[in-house]
Amino acid sequence: MSGQTDMLEFIEWPSVECLNQQPAHSVENAIKQGYRDSDVFLESDTDEQLLIHIPFNTAVKLHSLVIKGAESKSHGPRRVKLFINKPSLGFADASDLPAVQEFELSEEDLEGKPLLLKFVKFQRVNVLTVFIEDNQGDEDTTRVQKIALFGQGGETMNVNEIKKVGEEDK
Amino acid sequence: MVLEATLVCFDNSEHTRNADFAPTRFQAQADAVNLLAGAKTQSNPESTVGVLTMAGKTPRVLVTPTPDLGKVLNAMQDLQIEGETNLSTAVQIAQLALKHRQNKNQRQRIVIFIGSPISESKDKLVKIAKKLKKNNVAVDIVSFGSEEENGDKLEAFQEAVNSNDNSHLVTVPPGMVLSDSLFGTPIFQEDGGEGYGGGGAAAGGEGGGGGFEFGIDPNLDPELALALRVSLEEERARQNATAAAAAREGGEGTSAAAGEAGGEAAATAPAAGGDIAEPMDEDALLQQALAMSMAVDQPGDGAPQAPAGGGDATMADADDDLARALRMSMAQGQGSAGSEAITDPDFLKSAITDPDFLKSVMASLPGVDPSNPELQNVARSLAAKKEGDAKEGDKKDGQGGSKGKDKDSK
Repeated sequence: MSGQTDMLEFIEWPSVECLNQQPAHSVENAIKQGYRDSDVFLESDTDEQLLIHIPFNTAVKLHSLVIKGAESKSHGPRRVKLFINKPSLGFADASDLPAVQEFELSEEDLEGKPLLLKFVKFQRVNVLTVFIEDNQGDEDTTRVQKIALFGQGGETMNVNEIKKVGEEDK
Repeated sequence: MVLEATLVCFDNSEHTRNADFAPTRFQAQADAVNLLAGAKTQSNPESTVGVLTMAGKTPRVLVTPTPDLGKVLNAMQDLQIEGETNLSTAVQIAQLALKHRQNKNQRQRIVIFIGSPISESKDKLVKIAKKLKKNNVAVDIVSFGSEEENGDKLEAFQEAVNSNDNSHLVTVPPGMVLSDSLFGTPIFQEDGGEGYGGGGAAAGGEGGGGGFEFGIDPNLDPELALALRVSLEEERARQNATAAAAAREGGEGTSAAAGEAGGEAAATAPAAGGDIAEPMDEDALLQQALAMSMAVDQPGDGAPQAPAGGGDATMADADDDLARALRMSMAQGQGSAGSEAITDPDFLKSAITDPDFLKSVMASLPGVDPSNPELQNVARSLAAKKEGDAKEGDKKDGQGGSKGKDKDSK
């Protein structure tokens, strides 16, 4: 995890969208700083699926992901699909299309263990879509207490690394 | 200021030829859609509106959501009435069009205008509604025309799609103006009750009638409220001062004319009152009335016209005059236009049949000679109808009467 930072500052908040969330248990509860470590959680509404679009304000590199379930283990997410740069993805597409990476989470994973991503495939991410297909115990709704992303922010330039032209020759 | 993408589903089926909404369901609906599109695009500059027709061979998106109101109005021009509505397909196409909106910050909303019977089963509609809800699409429904057949289905649909009170069903019975009755509904008002257009006016009306002293909420702008209150106090004080001065003036005026008949005094009172442009409050009115009654009593006591000691008649006269003066001053106070404000028929009758009053009026009219025998005659004949005003009337009529008799005999 060295060199990887929390991606909170790169998230473009007004455009974060979660489909099938309950208005009382919205996606902010799972993603925002200060909310995600308290007892509030994100819960699905009409069925167990959730589709979360997380746009970034710059192209980022993603390294790992933490998904933490709520107190009730059976409501925790099980199959999770990740897509990148597909802002118009709907539920039907998310079920059918091949994901960039898929996880089948165990109850241990939901304790807050970081899930390593295939770093090479998450190099220029403008929008990350997290599709939660079902949950651990076939419950009607799915609950997520925390989603955290770690990686590197976009094109950063370190001024110290810039050298004068021809300086090396001396 | 809700930022949203709206897709309006327009019912252009053959049922909309029905003229139970003036001029037709179709046209009434088109007006309402134009109005709605205007309201939506004005509420937030980034909000977009699109239009889709539900009937015909297949539902057709005429305009994808756009912030350009002109495009919407233009598309509404070449709509054609054909076929039957296909609600389920139309709504799903609408959802697809919304899903591919450019600005993902916009919330999604479908507004369905339905004026024809729905062919789909209730279960199918509920299933679609659930799907819409899952995709965060809010749905407003305007049911007009076939509202009885569709009632159950639409209610079930609305209930299934509603999440956090973001979807509404409005039923408009025939005979009402569709676009007017939509004003003030949540479809135009949006979530926060932020009104625009008619909504704003309605809110303003509520504010005015809401019991605030000056029609504004003093909590919103305390400085303005204070300024209004100070201004009101000053105006009251000024009015009181003017009214008191006028009462004094009126009193002097009538006592100067004390030698004249009571009727003349009554005529002077409104003239004095006429100087006061502002409506007077009750205190001032009372003062004025008192001053006048004093003035009328004085000539009544020492009246040269009643030397015969017919005390009863004189008292009656004085009372009459007092009552008339009071009425006139009241009328003067209520409306600034004196004669127009006098509406009491009894009073009018007594005024017109009173020869003194008539005489004074005639004297004040330019170009009219009060001593003209014809006018005298008219006055006399009017006075003859009046009973009970014996003494004074006889005396005055004596002059005119003789002339009149001469004329009659000729």
